[in-house]
Amino acid sequence: MSDDGIIREPMLEIYLFEATQLTEQLEEISIECEKNKKIDTESINEIFRIMHTIKSSSAMMSFNNISVLAHSLEDLFYFIRENGSVNINFEKLFDLVLLGIDFIKDEVFKIENDNEADGSSESLVLKSSNLLQYMKQDNVNDSKSILLEVEDNINDHISSFIDCSDSIKQKYVAKIFYEDGCEMENVRAYTVVHNLKEITTEIYHVPSDIIESNDSVDVIRANGFLIGFATTATKQEIEKRFNEIIFLRELELQQVEEYPQELKDINVKKEISPEDPIIIMNPQEVEVIKEEPLNVNKSAKQQSIISVNISKLDMLLDLVGEIVISEAMVTKNPDLVGLQLDNFKKAARQLRKLTNELQDVVMSIRMMPVSMTFHKMNRIVRDMSKKLNKEVELEIIGEETEVDKNIIDHISDPLMHLVRNSLDHGIEEKQERKAAGKCETGKITLEAKNAGGDVFIIISDDGRGLDRKKIYEKAKLQGLVTRPEDELTDKEIFSYILLPGFSTNESVTEFSGRGVGMDVVKKNIDSIGGAISIESVMGKGSSISIKIPLTLAIIDGLEVAVGVSKYTIPIMSIRESFKPKINEVIEDSDGNEMIMIRGEAYPIYRLHQIFSINTKVINSADGIMVMVEDNVKSACLFVDSLIGEQQVVVKALPKYIKKAKGIAGCTILGDGNISLIIDVTGILDR
Amino acid sequence: MKRVLITDDATFMRLSLKSMLEKCGFEIVGEAENGKVAIEKYKKLRPDIVTLDITMPVMDGLEALKGIKEFDKNAKIIMISAMGQETIVRQAIILGAIGFVIKPFNQQTITKAFSKL
Repeated sequence: MSDDGIIREPMLEIYLFEATQLTEQLEEISIECEKNKKIDTESINEIFRIMHTIKSSSAMMSFNNISVLAHSLEDLFYFIRENGSVNINFEKLFDLVLLGIDFIKDEVFKIENDNEADGSSESLVLKSSNLLQYMKQDNVNDSKSILLEVEDNINDHISSFIDCSDSIKQKYVAKIFYEDGCEMENVRAYTVVHNLKEITTEIYHVPSDIIESNDSVDVIRANGFLIGFATTATKQEIEKRFNEIIFLRELELQQVEEYPQELKDINVKKEISPEDPIIIMNPQEVEVIKEEPLNVNKSAKQQSIISVNISKLDMLLDLVGEIVISEAMVTKNPDLVGLQLDNFKKAARQLRKLTNELQDVVMSIRMMPVSMTFHKMNRIVRDMSKKLNKEVELEIIGEETEVDKNIIDHISDPLMHLVRNSLDHGIEEKQERKAAGKCETGKITLEAKNAGGDVFIIISDDGRGLDRKKIYEKAKLQGLVTRPEDELTDKEIFSYILLPGFSTNESVTEFSGRGVGMDVVKKNIDSIGGAISIESVMGKGSSISIKIPLTLAIIDGLEVAVGVSKYTIPIMSIRESFKPKINEVIEDSDGNEMIMIRGEAYPIYRLHQIFSINTKVINSADGIMVMVEDNVKSACLFVDSLIGEQQVVVKALPKYIKKAKGIAGCTILGDGNISLIIDVTGILDR
Repeated sequence: MKRVLITDDATFMRLSLKSMLEKCGFEIVGEAENGKVAIEKYKKLRPDIVTLDITMPVMDGLEALKGIKEFDKNAKIIMISAMGQETIVRQAIILGAIGFVIKPFNQQTITKAFSKL
């Protein structure tokens, strides 16, 4: 579905899906081949096939600019395939291929957004054919003439057919006209001749050259295909055969005593042998570089997968969520309190078990490995390191780690930005690295791993690292600091760069430095309930960790009561909970309440105050402290009491309620009550 | 209703051809994504007509044609080819394909081509 929910016609959906998949595959192979400076047979064939498919599909959908481009690239790789020992200028070749990929991606993007695919691929096509010409000049093309040679053999194979039967041979003349636009009429004519051989002792036809000459196509279109032949078959049998011809528009068939003049004038008399030797054409065994297939990561390859419209999956997930809620409403129904219900409870347990299983399976359907997203970064590293003249290697770890599809869509852009940052500002130029005693090739590592209920994605580089002082100064200038430098941890200072408008770069480069990047990254990550934390050592490198929940839809929560209201605190944010002692609660110089735990002071946030709730539990000693943390800070939330742990289905706040800071969403409890889900970061930011 | 097996590595192409053939009154009994699968499915499904794309991974159209014809010499096979594949199409004819359709095709083309089958 396009973003505004309009369902496009299914053929277009599939075309776009396949086009995207194929270009991604193509990009991977290209980058790999370019890096290794060699193309093995398998890769050539794959590239050729992909171009071929894109060419055909695009033509079917009338996206001719894409089709023509794919065609020209297909020709290029056809040549490479047939002439293995070419001298290939890998840079030129793959620069062109990648430009082509970009063009196709752009056009596909336009189409996906219901715009016209109006880009012109002319210049790329020209480049491509020039490159092909250049390659041809460098290499003598022998294969074609050899193919022709073998073909000729079929036709020159003359042997006499001795007619054993007593039946009378009759002469016939037939003229065939083909349907407009069926193409390759010369080959169709060849089909007719080939099929007639079975029942004829001689065949003459005009045009006579239907193999070597493509001009015959025009002649056939204009004048039809004229055949004269002799056979013992009956007219009905002959007619039947002719009428089976595909794309036949018109047939004139008559028995004759003598062939017309034009047929007699053909100087090559072709006598037919009853069976053509079936020569299977093996294109001359050209010396294509026979290396072991490169270890191209097949993450984008077609596996046994069916593609399902994502909206159907969303519906399914929604429904499962509702079932989980309904199940709780049945089994925890207030009507059942106090009743003796052994059998019911047993059945309810089974229902619970099945509901959980159902939930697990549905969630797993939406889970996808991060490999696709990670591998997209290869292209960025390649392009940027070329442009910036830096040598950078991208290492990918844990790409099989799976994450909800929804989340994958949201981390792609932030990841790209972070990788760009590393390349632009993190990794130093070769001389600088050499002078610092580092190896000239910089390294960027993308790692994904599971930890508890979250997934961690870590981008690290071995570049120049972050300058703590510089960041603090800049933040101070922008009025963002509230505490003196020595009170702040490295993590806290580094997190300043996530604030809007922040950028310590003196110059704005093409890729970054406009100060609008990092805060957008943070917003993106926040929107999926994730968190960013930054670590760095000056001179050694930096590491940015993104923690994201496994799923948006269902979380483990701790139910708490504040007054008559119920709140859910996401378990992943909770460190511990306890009943405070009076003397543990202190106040700082500004009158803010703090609590001392194991020598550290944590600010206290009273939920009844924040949400203006009437409650009798005011005294610290009467309530419960829940210590929570987001990626940067820790604090204690003061609530009346704990109710219990519960898995809840997260529902977004209805649109008619304005965004409330500190509330991430809501859910319906088993007893039918509504519980608001706490957004820990929102509370701690106050 | 005549039964057809469609072979092409691109889902898009299979779907296009399927919808066009169905409009002509054919029943699509199977789809194959490469030549090897085409031969297997032919043996299982015994369709009346098979369409074979030429360029496919694992096993191409020509090889599949050979394989199917070996199994059933009366198999009715139509090659789906692209412009510029004259040589291969000719070989296919020699090997027994009854005809070919050129990509890109539209509903009209398919209707005309398959009307005789």
